[in-house]
Amino acid sequence: MMNKQFEKAAKFIEKNCTADDFSLFLYRSDETATRYAQNMITQNMTGVKYGVRLNVAYGSKTGTSRINSLDETELKRMIETAQNIAKLNKPDPEFVPSSSKAKIPKTANMSENTVKFSMDGMVDIIKKTVDNAEKKKAFVSGIVTKTVSESYLKTKNGFEGSDSSTSFENSMTLADNKTREAKVERSVKDVNDYSIKKEIEQLNSRFDALTEPKKIEAGQYNVILRPQAVINYFSFLLYFMDRKNADYGVTAFHDSIGKNMFGKNFSLISNLDEKDLTAAAFSGDGIAARNVDWIKNGVVKELFTNRSYAAKIKAQPNFIPNVIIRGGNATEQEMMKKVKNGLIINNFWYIRTVSLRKNEVTGLTRDGIYYFENGKIKHSVNNLRFNEVLHNAAKNILLLGKEDNIAASTKVPTMLIKDFTFADTTSF
Amino acid sequence: MDHLSTALNHAQSLGAEYADIRIQKTTRETIFLMDLSLKNTSMNIEHGYGIRVMKNGAWGFAHSNVFATDEVKKTVEKAVKVAELSARIKKGKGLVLAHERGYIDSYSTKIQIDPFKVPLSEKVDLMLEVNKTLLNYAKIKRAFFMLDIYNDDKFFASTLGSVIHSNTYYINPMISATAVNEKDSQSRSFDEGGYGAGWEHVLKMNLVQKAVQIAEEAIMKLEADEPGEIRRRDLILDPNHLGLTMHESVGHPTELDRVLKWEADYAGVSFATPEKLKKYRYGSEIVNFVGDNTLSFGLATAGYDDDGVPGQKWYIIKDGILNEYGTTRDTAPFIGENMSRGCSRATYYYDFPINRIPNLYLEPGKKPLSPQELIADTEDGIYIEGRGSFSIDQHRVNFQFGGDMFWEIKNGKKVRPLKDVLYKSSNPEFWNSCDAICDDRYWKDFGVTNCGKGQPPQTARMTHGAATARFKKIRVGGSK
Repeated sequence: MMNKQFEKAAKFIEKNCTADDFSLFLYRSDETATRYAQNMITQNMTGVKYGVRLNVAYGSKTGTSRINSLDETELKRMIETAQNIAKLNKPDPEFVPSSSKAKIPKTANMSENTVKFSMDGMVDIIKKTVDNAEKKKAFVSGIVTKTVSESYLKTKNGFEGSDSSTSFENSMTLADNKTREAKVERSVKDVNDYSIKKEIEQLNSRFDALTEPKKIEAGQYNVILRPQAVINYFSFLLYFMDRKNADYGVTAFHDSIGKNMFGKNFSLISNLDEKDLTAAAFSGDGIAARNVDWIKNGVVKELFTNRSYAAKIKAQPNFIPNVIIRGGNATEQEMMKKVKNGLIINNFWYIRTVSLRKNEVTGLTRDGIYYFENGKIKHSVNNLRFNEVLHNAAKNILLLGKEDNIAASTKVPTMLIKDFTFADTTSF
Repeated sequence: MDHLSTALNHAQSLGAEYADIRIQKTTRETIFLMDLSLKNTSMNIEHGYGIRVMKNGAWGFAHSNVFATDEVKKTVEKAVKVAELSARIKKGKGLVLAHERGYIDSYSTKIQIDPFKVPLSEKVDLMLEVNKTLLNYAKIKRAFFMLDIYNDDKFFASTLGSVIHSNTYYINPMISATAVNEKDSQSRSFDEGGYGAGWEHVLKMNLVQKAVQIAEEAIMKLEADEPGEIRRRDLILDPNHLGLTMHESVGHPTELDRVLKWEADYAGVSFATPEKLKKYRYGSEIVNFVGDNTLSFGLATAGYDDDGVPGQKWYIIKDGILNEYGTTRDTAPFIGENMSRGCSRATYYYDFPINRIPNLYLEPGKKPLSPQELIADTEDGIYIEGRGSFSIDQHRVNFQFGGDMFWEIKNGKKVRPLKDVLYKSSNPEFWNSCDAICDDRYWKDFGVTNCGKGQPPQTARMTHGAATARFKKIRVGGSK
């Protein structure tokens, strides 16, 4: 059911907006975030945020205004501001009218359990993590966040959609005063699906496996990338797979559609039928969500295409409602036995583009890195810097683990990848 | 003003040991031109207030955008409840705040031409001319121009008796061109970061001429060679490049909250731990870094920080030695300091203030030296302009940085352009290898407007500055 405040604001804007075209986006987010570090709470905050964005057009001249209030005096000022900008602006040669009526898929992004979950409950979760850290003579830092949000989009041309979602998230890093540092993080739609006991067990397992790191040098190593490392690395595809940049030759995706660029073990999709994942029902500019195979068994099927470029090339526009990298059934044990030796990577950090045209990114390992040999973890090693081409890494996938729901709208597997390129060692 | 006193009185009546309220209106005009298409021409406002209380040695924070007495009181009550809950998990008696007094004062950025009042057509005409100039070159396939105009109008009041009004501005035009041929794509940008000034700053820039330069250099990079295998060479880095280098390798490691491991779960910690203060050789003797929140055009300059602490100027690195940190009222007491350096800042009204990098700059060299003389004095090196591909570990030790334009130096001369150059170094190797810094004639600022940190994440702004400097025998080459 649509938020009554949104309904009232939308009616007011519709009545008062005189532009040829408009697109109105309303947003409300009720967020509580409790942050802790070194076994104490250092920051704790709560409040409701609003957002109202109005895009208008006179012919192909556009203007946008955004405020954070539903007060009618402010809304009136916002309408005038957007309209004045549009009237004074230059025509946009790539202008497309606002979205027309569309069938918006039903999504189930809301959990009443999360809505009802109290701040006391959040502090209870932190207490358990701190008690665990103190037992281990270690220190835990992190953040527990609960968010309840609603959004609504309406256009002059008949597009209308609303969506509500909840999210509960806990991220925690356990460290000692020497070199050990391990992290787990997870976000869920329904707080009842979150088990602090399981998360602490996983955190402890990662932490306990850490030893004084032995020095290793840069080079190519077989790697087992755990899910957080997988999403942090391959999520750069979400920046690189723009259709216009590909067509113009800016990225490695130039002339890539229909070609096997990533190897048969790599599939990146968005799927609204996955019952255990949330999905955005529509994009902020009025594209109804649909299932998309971005990359299927290594073959590039579709690139990200916004509404204006889609109109130009006569393609269907799209966006990313959720993210799934397809997995398999291999266990970490099987992965360790598949190759003679290698590294288990918990996470990557500070990933940046090295070359768009080469599809290459750089970054560092973080939150624990282990050396394994003959099917067993032997010891920790120092962190390393990688410089690696995304599609080369995907082509080198040897085994895939089960998909893990690391976030409410994201699931990815653990991967065994051969010959991953580390270009530098680090001092810790 | 009634809301200020309502909030503070109500917080004290509920037992707060300290409270402050920040009423903040952020206005941002953004014009985004991609190729010749106006993708976004917008005016954005965030207006509300955040109330922070300390009770039982713990923080509580709540925010609202409803300006009514009842709502202000409710928001205070939420903040107090949050503080009481936070106090369940604390160490000893909890957080202690460094000493401070109250101030009644105001601060405004000095602007000559209010950028919000400049006609839209003047801004868009300039942007279109720049993008047309870029796209006149056949090999330039994408042209980008983002104009960002920002104003923060803020009232801060605290139970120490402070009532402070600040009204700060910055302006930031960013241009980028991407050249493409059959084998490669290369970009070149003009981006000096934000600057605390009005439209007059843009008028001084001659952006059309800059567009010609970046278009030609982007095309030049397409045909340029890569640098070959990694080997040790001298680096000469321009002020724009050094802005982000110092941000990552000096600014963040000397934020006291990172040193205290408060950022361990996300942004990371710091190798520059308190036992190293006044002893650790961070850089060579010519390396002096100054924290300066009094810099008139500085993006972190607002008269006072969000703890109500006045802007200050101090040495963070003095003659190469780690001298002091950037601190806040809640972090300073952990290292025995009884005063804060005034580095507590929040982005929007709904953000909790956190320990931030101040305006931070490298002092220019004391002897007369120009970039041309520095190049003439270099046998085997690479000159890097601008920024690209910055990555550093979570302890702020090991890094790999790129750039935007690269020139090979042989026997004292720039001999050819290069592309895809990366250098790898670490603290303290990098700053100790600094053997020459040009003099103050060549000192140039660089404003950062998107420094990401914190949970939930915030983007802060600050100004850096340097004169061109040389770093001896750094590992430099391609990506492998």
